[in-house]
Amino acid sequence: MIPGRLLAVISLCGLLLAAGMQNRYDSRVDYFAERSAFVSLPSGKALKVLSFGYHNLAADMLFIWAIQFYSTPYLTNRFDFLERVFDTISDISPRYRDPYIIGALIMVYEAGDVAMALRLLEKGSRHNPDEWFFDNDAGYYSYKFLKDVDKAETYYKRAAAKPGAPAFLKRMNAHMVYLSEDPKVAYGMWLDIYNNARDPFEKDMAFNHLYQIRAEIDLAQLKERIALFRERSGRWPTSLAELAGPGAGPFRDLKGNEYIYDAEKGAVTAAKVFQWKRR
Amino acid sequence: MKALEIKGLKKSFRSNFLIKKYRILKGIDLDVEKGEIYGFLGPNGAGKTTTIKCVLGLLFPDQGEILIDGKPAAGAGARSRIGFLPENPYFYDYLTARELLFFSASLFNLPAAAVHDRIAALIHQVGLSGHEDLKLRKFSKGMIQRLGLAQALVHDPDLLILDEPFSGLDPIGRKDLRTMILTLREQGKTIFFSSHILQDMEMMVDRVGIILNGSIRRQGRLSELISRSTQYYEVVCAHISEPVLTTIQANFACRDGQYVITLASDADINQVVESIIHNDGRIVSVNPVKMTLEDIFFNEMRDNQ
Amino acid sequence: MTMSMKGIACNTFRESARNKMFYLLVFFGILFALSSKLISFLTLGDAMKVLKDTGLAAINFFCVLIAVFTGINLVYKEIEKKTIFNILSKPVSRDQFIVGKFLGLALTMLTALAAMAGIFFVFVWIRGGGVDLKIILYFLMLFLELLVIVAISLLFSSFTTPILSFIFTVSLYLIGHVMWTFNEFKAILRVPFWKYFSQGLYYLLPNLDKFNIKNEVVLGTAINPWTTLFSVLYALAYILALLALTILIFRKREFQ
Repeated sequence: MIPGRLLAVISLCGLLLAAGMQNRYDSRVDYFAERSAFVSLPSGKALKVLSFGYHNLAADMLFIWAIQFYSTPYLTNRFDFLERVFDTISDISPRYRDPYIIGALIMVYEAGDVAMALRLLEKGSRHNPDEWFFDNDAGYYSYKFLKDVDKAETYYKRAAAKPGAPAFLKRMNAHMVYLSEDPKVAYGMWLDIYNNARDPFEKDMAFNHLYQIRAEIDLAQLKERIALFRERSGRWPTSLAELAGPGAGPFRDLKGNEYIYDAEKGAVTAAKVFQWKRR
Repeated sequence: MKALEIKGLKKSFRSNFLIKKYRILKGIDLDVEKGEIYGFLGPNGAGKTTTIKCVLGLLFPDQGEILIDGKPAAGAGARSRIGFLPENPYFYDYLTARELLFFSASLFNLPAAAVHDRIAALIHQVGLSGHEDLKLRKFSKGMIQRLGLAQALVHDPDLLILDEPFSGLDPIGRKDLRTMILTLREQGKTIFFSSHILQDMEMMVDRVGIILNGSIRRQGRLSELISRSTQYYEVVCAHISEPVLTTIQANFACRDGQYVITLASDADINQVVESIIHNDGRIVSVNPVKMTLEDIFFNEMRDNQ
Repeated sequence: MTMSMKGIACNTFRESARNKMFYLLVFFGILFALSSKLISFLTLGDAMKVLKDTGLAAINFFCVLIAVFTGINLVYKEIEKKTIFNILSKPVSRDQFIVGKFLGLALTMLTALAAMAGIFFVFVWIRGGGVDLKIILYFLMLFLELLVIVAISLLFSSFTTPILSFIFTVSLYLIGHVMWTFNEFKAILRVPFWKYFSQGLYYLLPNLDKFNIKNEVVLGTAINPWTTLFSVLYALAYILALLALTILIFRKREFQ
């Protein structure tokens, strides 16, 4: 008969061996590269049925999975099914607001497909007719990336008609859209929204825009100073701290993180294209 | 008004998907007088438990009439004055004895306050004092049986129906149970119990009903059944020589140093006794050898075949 | 309610309360509900929504498990162990027995749900989710759904084995949550017979998704008082029908 202690040791060794094998397996397999999972993703309708009443949870899980997946930079061609995924999430839970906004952000800034983002935002607007920010974001992207002023104006008009829309939206004609290209004006607008936000979601969204605008302003300023430095000293500064002097900086973004400086190229960027505040 | 009356009770079962019917009860007729102990005797499979279950509404008769205290047995209300102890009783093992008795009382619509004292007395009466707060899963079979009797008595019933109450009890348990049943009769209760242990019955019952193969073969007072069946008489004597004895009576046997003379009828007893005394013999005893219940029973079984 | 019904109900509750399985399931329900915090870390955006979603789903799931597992054994065990002889040989009608069992099980579910819900409620409140009365309404609706499930499992328990009861009850639970697709079916079907057949099924089988107001709770959309009222009445009517059917079946049962 095998003694009890030996059995315990065998049990422990077995577990350790299993963990080790799992580790080795993981080093050879990339779970996220399994894009085929998305190929066989059932339609939103089907998933809603299959979740047997737990569809909110299903939407959450799919969204979380998508976030992890799309923020894995080394996966090339990971945007093949981007629209499909976010369509599914919004089909399961049409009134879940985050996926529309974040989905559009990913589509514009990471995948570079503005038309896709606009489709998603329009869907969000359709399913949430009381919310103004889907149309607002659509208008912003239309102007900034598509340079389509008329389209932008249409969106802003629609946004302005929604209940609880901020006052400035009503003044968003083409001229104002141009003005909103002025970061300082835009910053002021978003600060206004931030301070009068109706719920944490709106606050977060406003903060995101503030962050982007501030980063733009700061980075432009920093680039100027770096160029000036190079003119004077004939080289790129080794770090941002070298840019000492009156009015030096800002060296930190709105979240308090330092701007990232590449000394070889003399290029400076913000920590992330977009940052969503975590609670 | 009889305590229990069964007329023409028929019951058959259908094996699961077969059309074939098994007729278990083929027409039971019996009656139980108030205040008596009635023994329901029969071999295994005769239909004792089936009959009892029909009385209690656990099975539905195909035909026949059952009256309890003159009223039909159908419906829950008829059972309010009956106490039942099933064969091999099983109770919720997560309860304590006391909890079970209070639960049983609630099933008779008796609030806890009303039966509090009665339950305490019952626990003592059945010999479970000191164990009333023990979980039933720790009880021995004998203790379960005692508890079973207690829960049958919790509402002070008029009629007690006990299915094989002596099975599985040790001799002490059997004696205790016998004593209890006799006491209950003295209190005016009617007791109906089934058994296949003949000795216990013989010692206690007023009337007996013998059931075989789904019908009642014999029913009547025990004394009548037995006196009708006196087989023979024995005269036991000693201090007499065999040759002398042979002249008095040819039919004798030797047992333990004594002589046993068998006589067919009581008419010859006086004459034989006088002869023995006259020959200086000693009379040890004169007995009528009646049929025991066992004999009656086995006769019936034999006739049945 | 008669004393015997109350006695049976209390005893049924006591049986669950002394059952280790029961505590285990409640414990795990709470554990999973609290671990919703971990999952909420993974999301971008509204973490509180994900926390509530996961927590409510966990409680929902475990309560359904408890309802099914306690229900399917309820009557079957009594017959198996022959403890039912001790009850039905007394002046207790079959109706009282079934109703008593149901009430006992309802009490059990209420206790389990209250424990899990209470802890989760405090948890959400501590995490800054605010005191949301909608969550209370959600739990009330969940309780009604659980009662329907209990009634279903009680029905099956009264005439079939635990395995079959389990299969039937779980199937009806799952079907109950996709019943809303039947309305789509109707549009597709051309042949009148199948049309009426699916319509009939739609009304016959339990429609459980109406008790699922997670959307309203988590996304903050409005709750329609009329649909809520109709849901409550639906539950009560359906439970009544199930209990009546169970009693009808049980009245015919014999106990050899």
